[in-house]
Amino acid sequence: MGIFRARQRWEPGPDDSMVLSLTEVELALLQNLPDDMRTVLLTSDDDPARKRLFPRAYLDPTADAAETEWRDAVYPDLVDQRFDALDLVGATLTRGVVAGRDREWREITLAAEEVQAWLSVLNDVRLVLGIRLGVGDDEPPELPDDDPGAAAWEFYDWLTYLQGSLVETLLGDFDESDLFGDDDLDDDE
Amino acid sequence: MSYRFVATQRASTRLATAPAEIAEPEVAEVTVTDKPWIVIVWNDPVNLMSYVVYVFQQLFGYSRKKATRLMRQVHEEGRAVVSDGPREKCEIDVARLHAAGLWATMEHPS
Repeated sequence: MGIFRARQRWEPGPDDSMVLSLTEVELALLQNLPDDMRTVLLTSDDDPARKRLFPRAYLDPTADAAETEWRDAVYPDLVDQRFDALDLVGATLTRGVVAGRDREWREITLAAEEVQAWLSVLNDVRLVLGIRLGVGDDEPPELPDDDPGAAAWEFYDWLTYLQGSLVETLLGDFDESDLFGDDDLDDDE
Repeated sequence: MSYRFVATQRASTRLATAPAEIAEPEVAEVTVTDKPWIVIVWNDPVNLMSYVVYVFQQLFGYSRKKATRLMRQVHEEGRAVVSDGPREKCEIDVARLHAAGLWATMEHPS
């Protein structure tokens, strides 16, 4: 970033709309994402990433009848919602106004439901990548730059940043220290 | 529905062997099925702490403080009870949490 001020990624607008600023390079990285995610949604039930998107409701392994009944009731909606979000996000990737001194930015105005679709898709993509990369509580592996995995980790980190900045914008008066602080949050309600 | 079915069935079985008191079983069944179910969110290494706070606020209408406290409990203890109530409500809550990408399950405390 150097001496240049970081651009505001998500600029809140009226009626919960937002303007998302992405570079052309970033947009290019995102172009295939909706299709990649559709592939995950259409893959077999055994796929670990897909399992992470659609976990069991009943932890009790003997509650299979209840689980099946629940799944029959909600699963089609859960799948449809994800396809709808991908459609919404995919459509926003092809529009936007070119901005910046060197025309390197694209500003995409998102309606409220498109903002929510972005939030949902960014989270889902990170869940899928998290499974594929084996993201755990430990520090990510130190990979040489020419390792194919290095680019995937970099992409994951960038998506984390993009989603994190969106969430902070949505939360408004967000104070990051609350997430870790020792102050007492118990006397609520 | 297997849980409720089993619970009711057991109550009936017990009654069948009991002396002829017809009214009692209803009470027993109500007691069993009315005990609230709980919805648990589990820690995972991908979901952002800030995102989890946002989801708790949006889905359950919790205050920032309460949402943050629950998120921290998930993060530090590995799990937290985020809602409870009748089984049907909990099934909906779990589905909404799954739609948001959180790892949630439900259970009936015994």
